[in-house]
Amino acid sequence: MILDLTDVTVSFTTGPPLRRTRLDAMRGVSLSVAEGETLGLVGESGSGKTTTSRVALGLQRPTSGTVRFDGRPFPRRRKDLAGRMQAVLQHPHWSLNPRMRIGQSVAEPLAVLGKDAGSLVPEALEQVGLEPGFADRYPHELSGGQRQRVSIARALITRPSFIVFDEAVSALDVSVQVQILNLLKDLQAEYGFAALFISHDLGAVRYVADRIAVMRGGEVVETADAVTFYSAPEHPYSRQLLESL
Amino acid sequence: MNRTTRVKGTARAKRTASVKGTAGGRRARRLDPLSLTGLGCLLLLVLVALGSLVHAGGDPDAIVGPRLQPPGPGWWLGTDNLGRSMLPRVMEGVGTTLLLSSAAVLVTAALSAGFGILAGYRGGYLNELVMRVVELLYSFPAIVLAILVAAVAGPGQLAAVASIVLVTIPLMIRLVRAAAVAVAERDYVTAAAISGAGLPRILGRHILPNVAGTIAVQGTYALSVGISVEGGLSFLGFGVQPPQASLGVLIRQGGTYMMAAPWLIIGPGVVLVLAILSINVLGDGLRDRFEPRETRALI
Ligand SMILES: Nc1ncnc2c1ncn2[C@@H]1O[C@H](COP(=O)(O)OP(=O)(O)O)[C@@H](O)[C@H]1O
Ligand SMILES: [Mg+2]
Repeated sequence: MILDLTDVTVSFTTGPPLRRTRLDAMRGVSLSVAEGETLGLVGESGSGKTTTSRVALGLQRPTSGTVRFDGRPFPRRRKDLAGRMQAVLQHPHWSLNPRMRIGQSVAEPLAVLGKDAGSLVPEALEQVGLEPGFADRYPHELSGGQRQRVSIARALITRPSFIVFDEAVSALDVSVQVQILNLLKDLQAEYGFAALFISHDLGAVRYVADRIAVMRGGEVVETADAVTFYSAPEHPYSRQLLESL
Repeated sequence: MNRTTRVKGTARAKRTASVKGTAGGRRARRLDPLSLTGLGCLLLLVLVALGSLVHAGGDPDAIVGPRLQPPGPGWWLGTDNLGRSMLPRVMEGVGTTLLLSSAAVLVTAALSAGFGILAGYRGGYLNELVMRVVELLYSFPAIVLAILVAAVAGPGQLAAVASIVLVTIPLMIRLVRAAAVAVAERDYVTAAAISGAGLPRILGRHILPNVAGTIAVQGTYALSVGISVEGGLSFLGFGVQPPQASLGVLIRQGGTYMMAAPWLIIGPGVVLVLAILSINVLGDGLRDRFEPRETRALI
């Protein structure tokens, strides 16, 4: 397993002093993602999907429970994991630094590793269906779909074994969504990375996921094979979600 | 915003989007005419100040005629109580005031960038400490703060600079911190952190460039605050000391002869107002041009 969450709970305390309330964004969540596999994580807004992804990426420490990446707990120094996991996040508008050229953004994960990008940036752009000339542009010159392609190129450039896609296509037009989802499948076939694909849209997840996990109110209510899930969901909540599709 | 070509058709993954047909270049929005006028005025004042270095308006210390003469040939802004021409003295005053204010604003900007960004990104104890100090400074009226500084450091140029820094730094740190908090939540910062980017890279490459607009805009406003603080402090006698001229020193000296020789106060007074106005107008223009709307909403 590339990623293993066991009985993970994440609690946040919010509100003013004296009237603090505790909220479990994740409660007893166990999930795993195998090498090369795509786990689709679905659930309505606020169900704890993003928190789950932050735990999986080591950005959020669980209140209780264990997380293992590639069989080991997260190292104390983030740098030790550099390049082995990447993410494509939600807002196409904020996914790229507006002050950096596209080429610099794509090369950044390599720069962090102290590696020279060389010819890798034009190659990476080409892989996601963009001309190499995009490297000299700034993000505001690109459409939302093109920016998400750039984010994917940036995520892929270190050939990570695990990539999180958190609502990566949700803000895009449906026709553009389809293009990006197709691109993802092609790239995964080529590079074999494992993925946690998060979306509130079951239709989008169906396109790419091998297995599906359904979250509701911080808990995973059902985990199933994609084919089984879409034909015969077990949990009443899953059925409800699928009916509204 | 999205002036771009789309991938046509059903767009198989390997099809490439064309770069051609997309208007290139960075956002080319210009400053509006009003702020350009402000910029022009400011540059003119800088030119005037530079001119005083070569005594373009005459020797500020030379006695050129009778005392307290109204403007006329030989002394276009009149003469002061010693018979010195006011024109070169106002020119020297503009230079002193602009120099002290800009030096102070540079210090404010550097400190605000450092502490504001670090406090905004890291949060925690450093953030608490910075915010408490800022609140403390805020609780003093500007002129009281300036007088306290003069009392500790002794009247003079250093007191003027330190006062301007202490008066302008609370607002600047707050706004830079707020902007840094907003930028820190953006996906490109998260993506960089996931890639393993360290603190120097995240702060230097991602946060600083995206709060630089805020720093520039607030720096401009701080410059105008600085000019008025220098004016006030020197007017009270705690800032620049005669015989060196600054706008504040000249207004103080002119005040004594306000009835007999109003030109002594009108010259430096008009220049002071002009400097503050033109800088504020320029600041508004820079704000509209540089500062993204969503960071402004936080202010
Ligand atoms: N840093 C945080 N502090 C407090 N509450 C949070 C924080 N992050 C998330 N939450 C809360 O946790 C819950 C789950 O959020 P999230 O994981 O973002 O859900 P999703 O991605 O499924 O929409 C929400 O109720 C949200 O308000
Ligand atoms: Mg979310």
